[in-house]
Amino acid sequence: MNYQNPRVVDTASILKARLPELSSKADILKAIELKALYDELKVLPADQKAAFGAEVNALRGELEQLVRSVQAESTDTTPIDITAPFDINSKDGRPQLLPSETGSQHPLMFELNYILDIFYRMGFAAVESREIDDDFHMFGSLNFAEDHPARDDYDTFMTTQTDANSKPFIAPAHTSTMQHRALLKYRANLEAGKPISVIIPGRVFRNEDLDARHEHTFYQLEGVYVDKGINVGHLIATLKTFLQEYYGKQLEVKTQPFYFPFTEPSFEFTLSCPFCDKQGCNICSQSGWIELLGCGMIHPNVLHAAGIDTNIYTGFAWGGGIDRLVMMKYGIEDVRYFESARLDFLRQFS
Amino acid sequence: MKISLNTIKRYGYDEIFKSPIDELADKIGTQLGGLEKEPFYLGGLYEGILVVRVVSCEDHPDADRLHVCMIDDGGVANDVERNNEGLVQVVCGAPNVKAGMTVAWLPPGSTVPSSVGKDPFVLEARELRGVVSNGMLASPSELAITDNHDGLLEIVPEEVGPELSKPGTEFKRLYDLDDYILDIENKMFTHRPDCFGLLGVGREIAGIQGIKFTSPEWYSLKPKLPTPSTNDLKLNFNNELPEAVRRFVLLTMKNVNVKPSPVWLQSLLSRHGVRPINNVVDITNYYMILTGQPLHAYDYDKVSALSGGDGASIVVRNPRSGEKISLLNGKTIEPRSEAIMIATDKQLIGIGGIMGGSDTEVDDSTKNIILEVANFDMYSIRRTSMASGVFSDAVSRFNKGQSPLQNLTIAVKAAEELSLLSGAEMTGEIIDDNHVEQSSFDRQSLYVPVKITAAYINDRLGLELSQTDIKTLLNNVEFKVDIDDRDLIVSAPFWRTDIELREDVVEEVGRLYGYDEVPLNLPTRDLTPTSKDPVLTIKAEIRDRLARSGANEALTYSFVHGNLLDKVGQAKDKAYALSNALSPDLQYYRMSLMPSLLDKVHANLKAGYDQFALFELGKTHGLEQPVDAEGLPAEYDITSLVVAANDKLRQTGAAYYQARKFLTNLVGTELEFVTVGKAMQSFALVQPYDLNRSALVSVKGGEFLGIIGEFKPNVARQLKLPKYCAGFEVDTVVLGNALKQRSKYVTIPRFPKVTQDITLKVPADLGYQELFDFVWSELAKVQPEHTLPVLSPIDIFQRPDDLEHKQISLRLSLASYDRTMTDNEVNQMLESVAVAAKAKFGAERL
Repeated sequence: MNYQNPRVVDTASILKARLPELSSKADILKAIELKALYDELKVLPADQKAAFGAEVNALRGELEQLVRSVQAESTDTTPIDITAPFDINSKDGRPQLLPSETGSQHPLMFELNYILDIFYRMGFAAVESREIDDDFHMFGSLNFAEDHPARDDYDTFMTTQTDANSKPFIAPAHTSTMQHRALLKYRANLEAGKPISVIIPGRVFRNEDLDARHEHTFYQLEGVYVDKGINVGHLIATLKTFLQEYYGKQLEVKTQPFYFPFTEPSFEFTLSCPFCDKQGCNICSQSGWIELLGCGMIHPNVLHAAGIDTNIYTGFAWGGGIDRLVMMKYGIEDVRYFESARLDFLRQFS
Repeated sequence: MKISLNTIKRYGYDEIFKSPIDELADKIGTQLGGLEKEPFYLGGLYEGILVVRVVSCEDHPDADRLHVCMIDDGGVANDVERNNEGLVQVVCGAPNVKAGMTVAWLPPGSTVPSSVGKDPFVLEARELRGVVSNGMLASPSELAITDNHDGLLEIVPEEVGPELSKPGTEFKRLYDLDDYILDIENKMFTHRPDCFGLLGVGREIAGIQGIKFTSPEWYSLKPKLPTPSTNDLKLNFNNELPEAVRRFVLLTMKNVNVKPSPVWLQSLLSRHGVRPINNVVDITNYYMILTGQPLHAYDYDKVSALSGGDGASIVVRNPRSGEKISLLNGKTIEPRSEAIMIATDKQLIGIGGIMGGSDTEVDDSTKNIILEVANFDMYSIRRTSMASGVFSDAVSRFNKGQSPLQNLTIAVKAAEELSLLSGAEMTGEIIDDNHVEQSSFDRQSLYVPVKITAAYINDRLGLELSQTDIKTLLNNVEFKVDIDDRDLIVSAPFWRTDIELREDVVEEVGRLYGYDEVPLNLPTRDLTPTSKDPVLTIKAEIRDRLARSGANEALTYSFVHGNLLDKVGQAKDKAYALSNALSPDLQYYRMSLMPSLLDKVHANLKAGYDQFALFELGKTHGLEQPVDAEGLPAEYDITSLVVAANDKLRQTGAAYYQARKFLTNLVGTELEFVTVGKAMQSFALVQPYDLNRSALVSVKGGEFLGIIGEFKPNVARQLKLPKYCAGFEVDTVVLGNALKQRSKYVTIPRFPKVTQDITLKVPADLGYQELFDFVWSELAKVQPEHTLPVLSPIDIFQRPDDLEHKQISLRLSLASYDRTMTDNEVNQMLESVAVAAKAKFGAERL
């Protein structure tokens, strides 16, 4: 801005020079030099007032603009005493927690704890699954050959970065990524005459488009049990016992043959609808039955990979979604609410 | 996968399907694989539709393209207007309608089959240009048989027989239309290439019902090779890829009459989701549907024209650099360098096992053909298909790994069928390029027989089957079982690619027997308690404590959009990036949780929540983080919380202190807050924070926890954060360790405590903690024996007219374990503290 009046020109250069030094940039608008110009304006003869007034206002406008732009760029803020328990002069408003009745745990996590508790009581250890893993744990250790078509069913996310084998890292599409680790970690149990019994909850990912029934991010619970003489009846009984405890009632269960490379035989596990006792309701789509999880006897190749002798030991494994259990239990209609962080949703679980 | 039961029944398996369909569907669902939907009754589409003969066909008086027909329905239809000869009048616009033709009639009241399930069109008697039409005569498309809508479906008496072509016959009795279609989940058959064929599925359906299945002889027995009288079509073959292409069967046929297939064949293909093309292509598809083995037909003369030298040449090889192929689906692609290609000696003519090329397509002018029945490496097929984005029915069968022991059988049978349908004759010897181990052929099984005992099977299934029970179950699906004392020697039939290990036999027996009968027993174990997982236990406790503090636990995605990283100033090249996410919102693994939480603040304020605290327990990943013992990116378990309040609430004090309140309340042990030093400033974790108003936090004298603070003005602006907003992000495991250290009990003094305050005026830039620690250490020097002091903050005050100083008030309460303290004693202690503070900080006691 080119000002004509020398008083304005001088003031403008003084104030612009001062601006960077100010901790609160807006203070430049309260500078006495600027106020002095306005004071002068009041006493000027009428014929000079208009021109001078226009220039002073223009200067003020320019300064305001400068303050705004500096503020926009600014990282200058007032330091605080980070070691203090509360702010200076905050006697009337000490930092408070929020009322405990507004607090809430996420329903998925709350439910997961409830499930964990049942399995702890049944004698299972627990370990959480990873969120970034490798091809070996996602597929290789689970008897998926390279380029096996069963890999297509998992829609895995991959990273641009690669591991030591030049393979991308993988966002696990099932908690079974932890099976191999769990078998290795607890293999010593077998030698001590005790079973391997572990559950593995965790966050898993599928590269899918979102809608009310499909999430790319969800939670699964995996279970692994290995000992001498373990058979299909043990698998079904274990899952049935858990579900009856979870729903607090007697249930019927069914298995349906299925295919997973890491179990043989493999099943889909179905239970009688605990919400309508097989009468048919919206939750079970009027069928009286709910398909809940995949399971099977652990494939010998998976046990071999962990150095377990399949002539002596057999075992079972299962994996199922937590999200669906919670949606059914609370009647939640849209899976996307879980990761929405909307208080409309979260505070319902206070 | 769609299965038409009548197609299986064509091979004489009526016994398999005698149970009511619902029972059968349940049984299939329980023992074979989930059904995608309820069985579909195809015959239901044809209720009321009749076979009729067009007796006369006249031009419509008022419409050029319409005809007025009198039809004979054998007098079967009720409630329809008839002339004195009993014929019914129908107006028809089809170009091929003529007197004497046998067609399908949809009488008034019937529904157009193709409209069922969409917008059902129910016919009536109505006038068309002044002439009454009673219902309509239908095209194959209207009858939902094929998508052909060029004219009426002509029922050829020679094709359906004299009985079924009689006027008045129910139309659904023709072409096996009185059929049920089952849709079985494909996934179930991932390891069962044989079940991608109807014979395989039929065999399973028999097996689970305890019924013995016997494959048609043309399939199960060694084929009788035809001896062609002539060798007119010269064909050279060379397989450069014997490892990936273990079997390649080729034969040539001359004098093909290419034309549409008979209606039954077109209809059967349509039922399985395959579009009819012409008799040659249809037969290849039909045998694929039946056996799971894809076939391909080439126009011999086109191949020959593209070959150098004499006759046609076929070569199996990898593509040369830059070579392209135009496919039957209209696309032209450059295949990956390891793709299995079919070529002449001059150019590519197809991608082996995936799709044929358009240059050698069989069309109406084709006279001579080459039939290919090959076997391809399943993994190569899948890789090529994924790389080129070409998917086909052949791919979904070949990538399951078809047995290489059935090619010749199927080639011979398909050629026979083609002769019948098109009049073609085989010419020349069959080429059978075979790289499968001879031993597999000798034993008619891909793997050596599995030696197993009944006990091994029973131990794993929890059953008590006898050797005979097992033998019968396996015999039913055409396994060979020899009993040798306690051993069962199990040989899988040649089409089974999945029976290699004992567990595979266990699965087979269990499935055929059914698991509903398995006795249910829990595993037994001793009484050793299981230890709870420490990390999961810590997380549960943190959740509980934060929820009781009034905070709400949120979950947000582990992946974030690059824009969010930009907004909070985190460098994208420090993040693990996803290469294949469908959604742009999921580009990077998040390096800290705070950006995700901050991203949710504004929406919640807008939704009317004026004050809240959101927290999340999650994991972070980043290239800044080390690689762990497994060679994987280290994962940090992180607890993060953000507090926010609407600007209109005009909160007193900085938001920092509320976040701090949540943290100190959570940890319950003393924490240390220090400014973020230079060394830390480049870390992604730190980026969102305003370093003037943030601190690194550690357990006092212990481990580093994380960061706490308010956010940079530009972060706040971009994420529309309120002025009052702060948060922390700490290591969950360290937090858990700290939680374990808290709550040390101290014995309660029996004597009353004396309480006095001290207010010290100190320089404004003196940190509260420094003064507090100083006071505490000075008190220790003068503290009487056997006393319990408690020092707590009361106030920090600054006069508006003295910004150089601030006044810090602390409250000391002191109680003795063995006597009553006096006010004077306590005041003396504070006085001595004041003297020391004056010397140290120039503090003045007020």
